[in-house]
Amino acid sequence: MTRVKICGLMEEQHVRAASPADAIGFVFAPSRRRVSVERAAQLSRLAPEAVERIGVFVNASFEEIATAVEMVPLTMVQLHGDEPDELIRRIDVPVIQAFSIRTQEDVRKLESSIADYVLVDAPGTEYRGGSGHVFDWSLLENTNLDNSRLILAGGLNADNIQAAISQTNPFMVDVSSGVETDGRKDEAKIQQFILQAKGDSMERTKEKTIDPVGFFGRYGGQFVPETLMKAVKELEIAYEEAKNDPEFQKEYHDYLREYVGREQPLTFAARMTEAWGGPKIYLKREDLNHTGAHKVNNAIGQALLAQRMGKRKIVAETGAGQHGVATATICALFDLDCVVFMGEEDIKRQQLNVFRMKLLGARVESVSKGSGTLKDAVNEALRYWVTNVEDTHYLIGSALGPHPFPTMVRDFQSVIGKETKRQILDKEGRLPDAIVACIGGGSNAIGMFYPFVNDEAVRLIGAEAAGEGVDTDRHAATLTKGSDGVLHGAMMKLLQDDAGQVQEAHSISAGLDYPGIGPEHAHLADIGRVTYEAITDDEALASVVEMSRLEGIIPALESAHAVAEAKKQAQAMGQGDILIICVSGRGDKDMATYAERLEGLS
Amino acid sequence: MKRLEELKEAGHKAFVAYIMAGDGGLEKLGEQIQYLQERGVTAIEVGIPFSDPVADGPTIEAAGNRALAEGVTLEKVLAAMKGFEFEVKVPLIIMTYLNPVLRFGAERFTEEAKKSGATGIIIPDLPFEHRQLIEPFAKQQGLVLVQLVTLTTIDSRLKEILKEAEGFVYAVTVTGITGTRDDLAEEVGAFTRKVRDLSPVPVYAGFGISKESHVDMLREDVDGFIVGSAIVQAFHEGRIADIEPLIDAVTVPHSV
Repeated sequence: MTRVKICGLMEEQHVRAASPADAIGFVFAPSRRRVSVERAAQLSRLAPEAVERIGVFVNASFEEIATAVEMVPLTMVQLHGDEPDELIRRIDVPVIQAFSIRTQEDVRKLESSIADYVLVDAPGTEYRGGSGHVFDWSLLENTNLDNSRLILAGGLNADNIQAAISQTNPFMVDVSSGVETDGRKDEAKIQQFILQAKGDSMERTKEKTIDPVGFFGRYGGQFVPETLMKAVKELEIAYEEAKNDPEFQKEYHDYLREYVGREQPLTFAARMTEAWGGPKIYLKREDLNHTGAHKVNNAIGQALLAQRMGKRKIVAETGAGQHGVATATICALFDLDCVVFMGEEDIKRQQLNVFRMKLLGARVESVSKGSGTLKDAVNEALRYWVTNVEDTHYLIGSALGPHPFPTMVRDFQSVIGKETKRQILDKEGRLPDAIVACIGGGSNAIGMFYPFVNDEAVRLIGAEAAGEGVDTDRHAATLTKGSDGVLHGAMMKLLQDDAGQVQEAHSISAGLDYPGIGPEHAHLADIGRVTYEAITDDEALASVVEMSRLEGIIPALESAHAVAEAKKQAQAMGQGDILIICVSGRGDKDMATYAERLEGLS
Repeated sequence: MKRLEELKEAGHKAFVAYIMAGDGGLEKLGEQIQYLQERGVTAIEVGIPFSDPVADGPTIEAAGNRALAEGVTLEKVLAAMKGFEFEVKVPLIIMTYLNPVLRFGAERFTEEAKKSGATGIIIPDLPFEHRQLIEPFAKQQGLVLVQLVTLTTIDSRLKEILKEAEGFVYAVTVTGITGTRDDLAEEVGAFTRKVRDLSPVPVYAGFGISKESHVDMLREDVDGFIVGSAIVQAFHEGRIADIEPLIDAVTVPHSV
C-alpha cells in the first residue's frame, strides 16, 4: 500500500492531524515553511512513534544534517540540492534524493541516483524543494526505476491522489501545498488527503482479494434450502442495483434525517473521562434514534428495498425487541404487513417492546422452541420465509444470514461509523485511538467499525456477552469460545458441541443472546483487525449504573457491555488518547431487568 | 442406486421412506429399517437430528429433539449402521444438515458413511453453489450427493442442477418446510413434469406427501415419492401399520 508523507509541518495541530500518515516532513531549507531544529524536535514529539520523521535540506553541510538527525531526531533525510554522492553516503539514515522532472532526460538522472529513495517533483519556481505543480506522470512509465524506491510529489491533493497512485504506483506520496488553505496547513485537508490516498487504495485491493460472492475470508455464503435460493439471488441483484442508484440512496438518507433524526451526536463524556482518568471518552449516540436504537437504520433501508422488489409483507426476528420495534415502526410508516418472531423467554424480559410492536400493528409470534431466544426466533422466521417467500421479504436485523444480508446490513449500519469519523475529525482533528462496540450478531459494531477498518492505527474492540462467565456454560461469547460452523445461512463462528449441535447462548441482554456471530466479524477476528473481549452480566449491570450517574444517559443492556469493555481499555490508555463508545441503544426497554437486578440501589 | 433406474425402466414407482435416526432410541434404527424394507419400500433416508432444522416442520423437528435428548449424534448413527446384523436390501441415504457434517469432517464423514453401508447423501442446506464442500469427497467414496429442486428453482438453474444429478432428484413439492398437508398446489404437476423431462435420473416428489390422494395426483408425473413426517409420526405413535396402504398405493402396480 502506498505510504503518505505530509511535508512542511510547522504547527502542533497539523502534526496531530497527520498522525495517520506514514511520514511527516520538516523543512530546514529557506522556505516559507522553514522550521528550526528545536521547533522540529518539539513537533516531532507529538507524532506517533511509527511515523517517519523526514528532514528536508537544500545543499546543507554534512554537519548541519547530522545535527538535525540527532536532535529532532530524524529517521530519514531528503535532499533537494546538488548534493554530491559522497555526502549521501555519509548520512546514517535512509536518504531521499529529489529530482525535478520536466523531460525524459530528467528521468534518466534519477535512475542513476545512489540514494535509497528518489522523490520526483515538478520544476520549482521561487525556492528549490517543491513547486506545488504536477508534472507529466506518464514520463515515469518507461523508466527502469524500481517503484519501491519512488516517492511522488508535486501538486498532489485529495482530488488527484488516487489517479496519481494508480498511474505511478509509488512507494510513497508527498504532499505539502495540496493540504493547505491560504498558505497554511489545514487539518481537514490533511485527513482528507490521507483517506483518499490510503483508505481508498486499500479498498480497491480488498475488493480484488475478497471473494466477490458473499464471503469474508472463509465465512459467509448462502447456506439455505433450495426454496430460498431464488429469493436470496433476487435480493442480491436488487440490492446491488439499489446500492448504486442515487435515488434510492437519497430516499434512504432522507428518511434517516427526517424520520430517524440523524445525524446523531458524538457526545464528549466529560465526567466519564474524568472518572476513568485516562483517554477522552466520546459516545456515539445511537440511543437517540427514533425507536431507541441503531436497528432502525437497517430496517428503513431494507423496507425501502422490499418495496422496490414489489414485496409488501415483512417477516422479522427479534431478540431484545429493538429490531422488532424498528421493523414494526417502518412497516407502519410504509403500510407493510409485519410479522415478528420472538423467543418466549425474550417476550418475558422485553414486555415493553412486545407491547410497542403490537401497538404499531405488527403480529408478534412467540417461539417456545429451544431456549426461546433469538436463535429460535431466527429459525422460525426462516421457516416462515421459506413458506411465504414469493411475496415476503425477510428483514434480518443483524449482520447475519445468507449473502447478501451481512453485507447489506453492514452497509445500512455504516452510517454510524461514517458520521463518527467525520465528527471526530471535526472535534479533534484526528482519528480516535480506539473504538468499542457491543456484539451479538454484530450489526452496530460492524456499522461502526467498517469505515475504520482500513485506518489501522484505530484499534477496534468488540464486546461480546460473557453471561455468567466464559468458564461457565451460560454465556454468549462466540468469538472467545466458538468454532467454525454453518447456521442460519452462513458459515460463521458458533457455540456448538462436538457433534455440531448448536448450543444455547445465555446473556442477561436479550440482544446479545445469540450463539453465532456475523461472518464479517468472524473474518475480522481471524485476521486480527478487531479484537473481541467478553463482558459478564454483572460487569454490564455495573456499567449501566456508572454511565447513568456520570452522564445522565441510561444505556441499553447491550450497549452497557461496550461501556464496561471501554472502561477496561481506558486503564491502559493515556490522557491524550481518544476512545469512542458506540451507545447502540437506550435502556428504556430494560427497566424491568434493571429494577429487578439493581434492587436496593438508592 | 442403479436399482432406482431399473425400477423406473420397469415402469414401477419408488417409495422412499424417511426416518429420524434415534427417535425412540438408537436401538430402534435397525428394527425400523428392517420393517420398511420388508414392507417393500424402495429406499430409506436416515435422518440425522440437528438442533436447528430450518427446512423441517414441527413433526420432524420434534422427532429430532427426541433423538437429541437420547444423545444421538451423526457418529453414533453411522456406528449403529455398521453394526446391523441383518442384510440391508435397499439403498440407505443419509439426510443431514451441513453443520454436523462439517464438525465431523467432510472427508471423514463420507468415508464412514460408505463403511456404514450408505449409498447416498442429502444435505438440504447445502445449495448447488457450495457443493464443492462435500461432493469431491462423496465422489471419492462412490456416494451420490442427491440434489433438491423446488417450485422456486428458476429454469436456468434447474437445468444446471439436473445436468449434474445423480441417483435421483428430490423434487420439493411445496413452497415451504416438511410436514403433512391436506392438498398440494395445482402447479406441482407441471413442475414435476418439467423436472422429469430434463432429468437424467428418476425424479421423486417429497415434502408434504402424506396421503394416497397426493400419490394419485402426481403418479403420472414422477418416478417415486418420498414420505417423511407421516412415517416419523407413525413410528413415534407405534402405529406404523397405518402407513402400509400408502406404501402399497405407490409400489403395487396399478391396473390401468
